[in-house]
Amino acid sequence: MADLRVNFAGIKAPNPFWLASAPPTNSGYQVQRAFEAGWGGAVWKTLGEPILNVSSRFAGTHFNGQRVVGFNNIELITDRPLEVNLQEIYETKKKFPNHAVIASLMVEPKQEKWHEIVKKVQDVGVDGFELNFGCPHGMAERGMGSASGQVPELVEKQTYWAKEAAKVPVIVKLTPNITDITATAYAAVQGGADAVSMINTINSLAGVDIDTWKTIPNVAGKGAHGGYCGPAVKPIALNMVAECARNPEINVPISGMGGVSTWKDAVEFMLMGAGSIQVCTAAMHHGFSIVEDMVDGLNNYLDDKGIESVAGLIGQSVEKYSDWGHLDLNYKVVARINNDVCINCNKCHIACEDTSHQCIDMLTSENGNAYLEVREEDCVGCNLCSIVCPVDGAISMVEIPNGEPMTWNQRQEAIKLPICNS
Amino acid sequence: MSSYAEFLEEKKKIDELYEKGYTITAVREDLSGAYLTFERSKLDLNDIEEKIELHILTADTRKYFSNLIIAQQKELI
Ligand SMILES: Cc1cc2nc3c(=O)[nH]c(=O)nc-3n(C[C@H](O)[C@H](O)[C@H](O)COP(=O)(O)O)c2cc1C
Ligand code: SF4
Ligand code: SF4
Repeated sequence: MADLRVNFAGIKAPNPFWLASAPPTNSGYQVQRAFEAGWGGAVWKTLGEPILNVSSRFAGTHFNGQRVVGFNNIELITDRPLEVNLQEIYETKKKFPNHAVIASLMVEPKQEKWHEIVKKVQDVGVDGFELNFGCPHGMAERGMGSASGQVPELVEKQTYWAKEAAKVPVIVKLTPNITDITATAYAAVQGGADAVSMINTINSLAGVDIDTWKTIPNVAGKGAHGGYCGPAVKPIALNMVAECARNPEINVPISGMGGVSTWKDAVEFMLMGAGSIQVCTAAMHHGFSIVEDMVDGLNNYLDDKGIESVAGLIGQSVEKYSDWGHLDLNYKVVARINNDVCINCNKCHIACEDTSHQCIDMLTSENGNAYLEVREEDCVGCNLCSIVCPVDGAISMVEIPNGEPMTWNQRQEAIKLPICNS
Repeated sequence: MSSYAEFLEEKKKIDELYEKGYTITAVREDLSGAYLTFERSKLDLNDIEEKIELHILTADTRKYFSNLIIAQQKELI
């Protein structure tokens, strides 16, 4: 059994799976049940001045029979008074002293407001804070959440103010609604953040009902932009985590979230530098018990790999993530079709013929059977055919030896030099 | 014509110039592709010093001549 315990920026937890600040962590009842189910930590539903929510606030994106590939919400932060939350946080921490209880906070960008809330919440014994600079709707209109989280100076200042009063680690939760997340991550580090977390939800409109012409979701016929999360956002989140992890100036731990549904997703985030994992949509879709599979899966994976603890995994793939200019232009793969398993659906042929490089030929064998063959010399190795192929193992992408590596950067350097005529 | 066949044609032209003792001495790239300048030193007094320009169209050939230039520069070091 591997050691799943984590020490994330000084916050200790029995495992790296934490519930993200959202409906699953709205109350002590929920967080305590989550801990009983096996979650290692919880980031409490964002505390601040209690808000008013609208009814009809979530929408799911379903695709081809698969429910909730994406999830949209127009919910705001907690609607409960601070004292009620604090009492429940206190009780939860007393019952589960070894679990991580982190308080998510959001107030106006004013020094005294940050001092006030940090001090009040600290007194009940939280293990850390997470500053919510990411909520994209409702709060942003009031100058909070992503409105302040998109401005590096405000991120730095508010982090600094929170740090002035905080005695426990401060995590800064970043919004993905920005072109370059490393700019705000760096600002958080400059403000003294002990860690950063990402991503909050992505600006979204879930849909429009084509019969009623109303938005989805609609509130008495009207809609407003929401925040998108769930499996669909994982690649966006993973890139943002990786961009921060490989930036030497962002030298603080990263808590990764956005579309994590399984232990495998979690492993990917960890390999790309996440020291803890947060989950919201998957818990909302399937309930707290999903953590059992996550814990078992991670445990088995680490055992199989002969890795003793979670720490041995964190950041192992970061150096493999680089700039395009460092990629080897001479690296070559080609598609190869295994006609023993191919079901002749022709999807690969159509994809290559219509939208790639026209190099999958439809042929007929001597005994009259139709089969497909890739003209490897014309194949650019784009992977498209293997992506659209419905049969596992019918198309493999095979590496072809192709000489010494040559990156774009090396090439540009070489062709601009005066070339001697020897 | 398949793009591989186009590449082979362009590669052949480059290889033939190399066989004749030419090397690439300049590369200019623009919207129309790459223009390579080939030069060779005089072998004897009667030899005329010629510059030859080749217009390269395919991506594979642009990779190919880049590899040649890098190899050429490595040889010189
Ligand atoms: C309904 C809902 C409410 C949320 N409320 C908050 C919140 O109060 N504070 C916060 O920091 N993030 C909030 N989030 C964002 C999540 O914490 C998380 O960053 C996001 O959902 C991405 O993770 P996921 O793909 O696992 O859902 C909320 C998300 C959802 C779906
Ligand atoms: S990898 Fe791309 S170019 Fe090659 S056969 Fe498949 S679709 Fe065509
Ligand atoms: S998509 Fe896959 S199964 Fe369909 S014809 Fe191509 S190789 Fe065969």
